[in-house]
Amino acid sequence: MADLGRLSLLIAFVLAIYSIGANLIGARHGRGDFLSSARHALWAMCAMLTLAAAALWVGLLNSDFSLEYVAAYSSTTLPIPYKITALWGGQQGSLLFWTWLLSIFTSVAAFQNRRRNPEITPYAMAVLAGVAVFFLGMLNFVTRPFDLISPVPAEGTDLNPLLQNYWMAVHPPSLYAGYVSSTVPFAFGAAALITGRLDDSWIRSTRRWAIFSWFFLTLGNMFGARWAYEVLGWGGYWAWDPVENAAFMPWLVMTAYLHSVMIQERKDMLKVWNLALIGLAFALTIFGTFITRSGVISSVHSFTQSGLGPYFLSFLIFVVVAYTGLLIFRAPQLRSPAEFESYLSREAAFLFNNLVLVGIAFAVFWGTIFPVLSEAVRGVKITVGPPFFNRVNGPLALALMFLMGVGPLIAWRRTTPENLARSFGAPVLAGIACGLAAYGMGVHSWYVLASISVSAFVLGTIAVEFRRGVVARRHMVGEPPARALVNLVAKNNRRYGGYIIHIGVVVAFLGIVASSFFKLEVKKAVRPGDTFNVGSYQLRYLGVVPTDTPHLESAVANIQVSRDGREIARMAPAKLFYKREQQPATRVAIRSTPLADLYVVLAGLDENGGQATFEVFLTPLVFWLWAGGLLMVVGTVVVMWPNVRERAAIAEALGKAATREPIGEPAPGGE
Amino acid sequence: MRGLSEDTRVFVLCTMLALGALWPGFAAATEKASVAGVSQGLTCQCGCGLTVANCNHPTCSFSVPVREEIEKMIAQGKSGPEIIAFYRHKYGEKVLSAPTTEGFNILAWLMPFLAVALGAAFVVYTASRWRSRSTQAGSPRPEALPGPVDADLLRRLESEVRERS
Repeated sequence: MADLGRLSLLIAFVLAIYSIGANLIGARHGRGDFLSSARHALWAMCAMLTLAAAALWVGLLNSDFSLEYVAAYSSTTLPIPYKITALWGGQQGSLLFWTWLLSIFTSVAAFQNRRRNPEITPYAMAVLAGVAVFFLGMLNFVTRPFDLISPVPAEGTDLNPLLQNYWMAVHPPSLYAGYVSSTVPFAFGAAALITGRLDDSWIRSTRRWAIFSWFFLTLGNMFGARWAYEVLGWGGYWAWDPVENAAFMPWLVMTAYLHSVMIQERKDMLKVWNLALIGLAFALTIFGTFITRSGVISSVHSFTQSGLGPYFLSFLIFVVVAYTGLLIFRAPQLRSPAEFESYLSREAAFLFNNLVLVGIAFAVFWGTIFPVLSEAVRGVKITVGPPFFNRVNGPLALALMFLMGVGPLIAWRRTTPENLARSFGAPVLAGIACGLAAYGMGVHSWYVLASISVSAFVLGTIAVEFRRGVVARRHMVGEPPARALVNLVAKNNRRYGGYIIHIGVVVAFLGIVASSFFKLEVKKAVRPGDTFNVGSYQLRYLGVVPTDTPHLESAVANIQVSRDGREIARMAPAKLFYKREQQPATRVAIRSTPLADLYVVLAGLDENGGQATFEVFLTPLVFWLWAGGLLMVVGTVVVMWPNVRERAAIAEALGKAATREPIGEPAPGGE
Repeated sequence: MRGLSEDTRVFVLCTMLALGALWPGFAAATEKASVAGVSQGLTCQCGCGLTVANCNHPTCSFSVPVREEIEKMIAQGKSGPEIIAFYRHKYGEKVLSAPTTEGFNILAWLMPFLAVALGAAFVVYTASRWRSRSTQAGSPRPEALPGPVDADLLRRLESEVRERS
């Protein structure tokens, strides 16, 4: 297996280099045979990487401890699902997984564009192959997943217990899919800059990739938050850890990009800005990888002392310098006949939305690197943690929410004060009423009151927008309300899918605010039979049950949960002990309802099983964070749903580009 | 503000909002102390890189006893800033989970808001140039002013009605 894996990686490396050359020669000399060969080389590279990933999986499943990676990240007693997820549990395996995903996305993009965008596709493929060359270079020469170990150990070290959780089966793959797929629009943006074909055809043909990337970044961040919530046992879901920040920054920049491309598509403006944003999003994914694997900034996620930092930093610098150079070189051609009439326009709302999104991304970046700066300037190592990020990003998040409400209802070009009053009257009143109601109910934090008001305002504007659409359909097409609503979304899926995403963001935001400001924490040491109160719940500790498997020992507490004297649930938090790693861990018990989560941690247990200490959190509305995430996912699916009208628009735009000067591509059907 | 141009007013408003947002940030330190709140303000020294509140090592030699100490200090009536100051005196600046508001560290707090203010200045400057260019190019097209329903949606609806009839 080791030989097969090593050989596959080496062949993939050679194929990636060949593909760069063949693409460039084919594009420069109009040689369709070279372009076709370059494309086949990319598909073959994908096949080789699939073989390499399969070889490592076989090694993990067979507990082949002659492979250093398998010995370091698995054991004979590790359950099979975690042997599969161990592929991305360690340094080399996760890099292999990353590169494999890159090869899959590259292959799909090569297939999609085999007859489209003949001028920029070869260069985009060369850029994608170039990125693959870097990662394959790392896998072949720097951090090899198929290195052997001698003497072969009888048993493996095992996977980190924190990673032995089902969320780890979906969190890294989602995040990686989001990271890696951003390479495709980046490559097409770079190709547009290289070729000088700077119309919006590169945006139109990669918009789905950008949404795909955003979708998986959203999922990856949500799954990661859920993993932290269920596994780490501190009652929260986001710790502003540098690696969490590294996943959040590309999401913010991608969000800004997805909004600003609408201005380019509609008004042919912001060409430089959109190219800069997609370059920034890609650079931030590499920055995230650099943080995770360099050890420059300490993080709970870090792969310790990997020594990969200088390589990633060099690659990052190369990408930033080369891309910025191209952007400056093409700047004169990127000037557009920009039209701007009023700050009371959707263009202005989008510009400020971009400003705030990129501002938050900068604040996160600044907070992440500030410890390094402080150490360099003052020689004092400091930490920048949740208090900083919450205080800095809190007001910016409010501003962003406000703009999210303003953007959709305000017209392109300009809006009259009368229209403004007509559009925003009801939502503003809803916001004020909800704020006052919350104040009357005893909420006195200015931030919470502002959040409630702004959220109600945003939901109000979305409701107004849906109502207008339904009324217009009923009036013009004569449909009943429910059908008008369904058809409104189905026939304008991009726009109304976007609103569904906005609803999801508001719902998640309210969940975050409520769970951050009103969390109740109780710590109690009790003996079997004792009862204690947490909010309106009564918790009775009934005792502990020990269990023992070859993989781990556990002590599972039995807690009876009552409310108003009536039993409503049994909860079973546990203390675990992983035998292989000699490492203790906790398993929290969560009872989730739309109103509040009861979150119980078995924090301590007497040796003789008598007294147990529990940390209990009662967290209001945290359920809605996950519900909001789900709505964002549903909205994104609606946005991405194939739309005949949109396809025709893309085909028309690409047709215009293709008729300029085709270069030696095989005729349709010629492959 | 009456004598200022619209561009200047928008910029001043953005800057005031960005800098005004600093106030609640600094004011937040006066909230009532809780174990979770105070331990969020301290960095665990076990090497996990997380705060004392978030450290997930069940037998951590730092976060577990510190959380217990904080609980006792709160019971004795000490405020959050007093407890944080106690640990800063004991372990130095490295134990804080956020930069102080002194010296070089002020830069940490100011830069994000300054960046947003500068960004706002750039947006307003660019938009004002676009606006003057648009004005020179001629008067705006009349169809731009919207009714209650977006023009794009209306166009789509009209074409759908045409397709059906």
